[in-house]
Amino acid sequence: MSYLDLSISELHEALVAKKVTPLELAQEALARAKADNNNAFELILEDEALAFASTLTEPEADNPFWGIPFVAKDNFSTKGIETTASSNVLKGYVPLFDAAVIERLKAKKAVLIAKATMDELAMGGTGTTGHKGITYNPWDPKHTRLCGGSSCGSAVSVAANIVPFSLGSDTGDSVRKPASLNGLVGMKPTWGRISRYGLFPFAPSLDHVAYFTRSVKDSALALNLLAGRDERDATSSLRPVEAYESSLEEGVKGKKFAVIKEIIDSTSDKEVLAKFNASLEALKKEGAEVEIVSFGERLLESIYATYFVISCAEATSNDANLDGIKFGPYYGGKSYQEVMMNARTKGFSKLIKRRFVIGSFSLMAENQDELFRRAQRARSLIVSRTNEILADFDYIYVPAAPSVAREFGATSDKLSNEYLIADNHLALGNFAGLPSITVPLFLENGLPVGVNLMGRAFEEKSLFQGARAIEKITGLENLSAVNKKEGTL
Amino acid sequence: MKEISLEVLQDAAHRLMFELSDEELKTLYEEFQTLKKQMETIGKIEGVDEAEPMTFPFACENSFLREDVAETPLDRDEALKNAGNVQDGQIKLPKVVG
Amino acid sequence: MNFEAIIGLEIHVEMKTKSKMFSAAPNSFSRTPNSEVALLDMAYPGTMPVVNKQAVINAIRVANALHMTIDHELRFDRKNYFYSDLPKGFQITQQFRPIGSNGYLEIKTREGGTKRVEIERIHMEEDTCKQLHLLDYTLLDYNRAGVPLVEIVSRPDIRNGTEAMRYVEAIRNIVVYSLTSDGKMEEGSLRCDVNVSLRPYGQKAFGTKVEIKNINSLKNIEAALDYEILRQNSLLLSGQKVQQETRRFDEATGRTVLMRVKTDAVDYKYFPEPNIVPIRLSDEFVQNAIDTCPELYDAKKAKYLAKGLSETDAEIILSDLAMATYFEKGLSLVKNPKGLANFVIVEVNGYLNKNGISINEFGLSAENLAKIANLQEEGFTHKQCADIFNHCLANNVTPEEAQKALNIQKQVVDEGAVLEAVTAVLDANPQSIADFKNGKDRAKGFLVGQVMKASKGKLNPAAVAKVLEEELKKR
Repeated sequence: MSYLDLSISELHEALVAKKVTPLELAQEALARAKADNNNAFELILEDEALAFASTLTEPEADNPFWGIPFVAKDNFSTKGIETTASSNVLKGYVPLFDAAVIERLKAKKAVLIAKATMDELAMGGTGTTGHKGITYNPWDPKHTRLCGGSSCGSAVSVAANIVPFSLGSDTGDSVRKPASLNGLVGMKPTWGRISRYGLFPFAPSLDHVAYFTRSVKDSALALNLLAGRDERDATSSLRPVEAYESSLEEGVKGKKFAVIKEIIDSTSDKEVLAKFNASLEALKKEGAEVEIVSFGERLLESIYATYFVISCAEATSNDANLDGIKFGPYYGGKSYQEVMMNARTKGFSKLIKRRFVIGSFSLMAENQDELFRRAQRARSLIVSRTNEILADFDYIYVPAAPSVAREFGATSDKLSNEYLIADNHLALGNFAGLPSITVPLFLENGLPVGVNLMGRAFEEKSLFQGARAIEKITGLENLSAVNKKEGTL
Repeated sequence: MKEISLEVLQDAAHRLMFELSDEELKTLYEEFQTLKKQMETIGKIEGVDEAEPMTFPFACENSFLREDVAETPLDRDEALKNAGNVQDGQIKLPKVVG
Repeated sequence: MNFEAIIGLEIHVEMKTKSKMFSAAPNSFSRTPNSEVALLDMAYPGTMPVVNKQAVINAIRVANALHMTIDHELRFDRKNYFYSDLPKGFQITQQFRPIGSNGYLEIKTREGGTKRVEIERIHMEEDTCKQLHLLDYTLLDYNRAGVPLVEIVSRPDIRNGTEAMRYVEAIRNIVVYSLTSDGKMEEGSLRCDVNVSLRPYGQKAFGTKVEIKNINSLKNIEAALDYEILRQNSLLLSGQKVQQETRRFDEATGRTVLMRVKTDAVDYKYFPEPNIVPIRLSDEFVQNAIDTCPELYDAKKAKYLAKGLSETDAEIILSDLAMATYFEKGLSLVKNPKGLANFVIVEVNGYLNKNGISINEFGLSAENLAKIANLQEEGFTHKQCADIFNHCLANNVTPEEAQKALNIQKQVVDEGAVLEAVTAVLDANPQSIADFKNGKDRAKGFLVGQVMKASKGKLNPAAVAKVLEEELKKR
């Protein structure tokens, strides 16, 4: 048993009781990070972490993150630490500033252990497209299965008990889907709840800071720390922050759960369905009302293309700053155009380039009506329908993924006609900017599958309350690839 | 909508300041055909043409404006330290014409 | 065939806010390259734009002065293109929802009438970085990157170079007097792109547009357009076509010169900026911006005219905001505004020109100038007052001290004293009287001089001349 196998709250008690020191924790986390064989890290920050951890000598009893080691996805700007978003276009780039969330964590004396691998520029969902190659699922030592992405390294860090908390980002489902495939709690709060200042943008209207923990309580504690207004992010909400853990144990009596019929219908894995239904029965026993609701199949089928067009369009613009002139590798050229061409041709993978062309094409004046603006209109309809349901229900509750992590080769990032509702519905939370959390449901042949709970905007407290009830039902609190356990469903 | 061809896509790539190989162009072309079909299907959804294009996830306007106060600028050497080609405290490029 | 010129203008005005449009970097036009740069100005990944309040206030004031409808919800958009001077690869602007729309401005026509020029839109955006083109390379200075701009786009109502010049002059007066901008065309804080096409009188459809870029003075706007209209006119008369192209004005030859032939229009792939949520401007905020707007050019001019200044004098003083500000400081202290204006226009301007300094560096306070102007009203001669003025500046003293030091006293106008002195001089100079009678007018000047000399300058020269005239007749 290692302290790193504990949850943040358990670890906090041990730290306050001085059973373990931040330095010891950092040393062990670094050792585990160095021993990682899943390709989870861009950079392990041994010197920085040890130096900082050794300054932490007086425990802060009211600060749950004091001395807690954590990992950040490599699309968070970190001052003085190379940050590449797993893309060659940013190789060698050393930011001059910390992202708002990094600042907050540092201020609370959490210890940054490493920068995590990701799908290049966060534009992928497999964990296979970063410049360091494939990141593996820690539940599968044979390395035959996807980890999921784009926040792959962050997921591995928590699932392999290297740290109890990691930062990711979620534009379509980039934290909540890998959470399902790695048996973790993956939380994406309301758009504007956490400052995005310093998060490398992929598609700002869909981008969220999100994160992994191994328990719902830890997730709530983390939001206490991360949430709040930041004047450097004009989209940051002015709404006051709540004590998000304060109603965790209040149960779901009288709470209304909407289950989307089409998502269930498009899920073919019988065991997933059986366990999901078992969870519904258990929720009812706890006093919750559960209803199967039809969303509209056409709308749900539209999610992927809508997401694709909007996110690629915004991305092609956001990443236009990556031209080799101000930062990133410089290859020279006979003209400024050649300088840019060299940097961008060599810097981006072919997948990224194709997405940029699609995005750019969608934005051309003569194409906008049929591509970009049509996607924005479809988004509007999808969001309206989502909010309609949430006007009558506290939560939308569905399987987070149709199955356990797939084997390599079974999916591809290329557009396919087989876009499955069950595989893409989590983007609803990004379209509508709603808080959405994935928690583990059960293990199928030793591999995890999660469920997702989505609530109304800024009602994170209620969301954690519902998620905690599910966690109790599944018995999978503090699950990880190391802390393997049988669920209770 | 503009007719999609390999030439059109290569031109779009050039305007985005990168090269695409013939093979990548072909893959892209196929992806586009799929996407086009999906977007056409979306175009047939009832009410889609009447819906207001959505940029923000929800109504989130506010009244915040930044006070006009100058802050300390970046140290010049710091500001330029990530640039690959610097001369006399400025970024240097091949002569820009036009 | 007779052709009519159709002229439209796009004016970019750099605002003189303390910080930039979307970043908090200083905006003070530093000459040290890259010394006024924030993270956002170099497009570092993860930086985000936050709108500058003062820039919005300025834009509201200008929009109001141009009689525009003001949008109470601010929205921004991205204009996407790649260029060496564009750090983010896009410019944040207001393509779809300009802060002001549908306004107008009244200008004097060449014929002396007035004319309303309609203004399509005014919007806020950010400037690009500055490029220094050397022999075989280019250097980039990001100080200018992110400087707030307002762009003002006219409708094609202008018909000749003079109208265009007067339109720009009026816009310049508004942005300068609202304290939005320095409005200096020579320094690029007011930049003007003009487009002009010709069509036969009576025809509805527009001809082919030619754009003239970066004209750097008001006079050159007039000259460039009048030349360009002639050029297009002669092309059309000789049966040739006008090419769609961009030209520049060559000051030395007074001609427009081809820069590049326009190919297909660039597609800027505009879309709403997702990093700035819509900003609601309350009615109070907008009204307050308008109410607190400094007094504008036209209002000041009307005020000066009402105080008795001539139109020319008013315009001279108003041609420089600092000069007008100086003038107004003294205005409430003087008995005769015209007299003060005269001192400002002649003495002050003369001194500034001679010493090559600006009014801001001028050593005499407006209060003290007012005192000097008032002395003239009390009967001191202009020459005496000018001496006091010069003494004050040379010795850095007050008018009272100067007057004492120079021993300047009010001149005597009392007829008895003057007559006494005149009689004495006439009695002593019979030859001069004879000369005068023989038609030598110069003799009179000599005699006045003698009287002044004998009285050591204490007599008023005008009074002396008058009495002398009368006495000469009697002899």
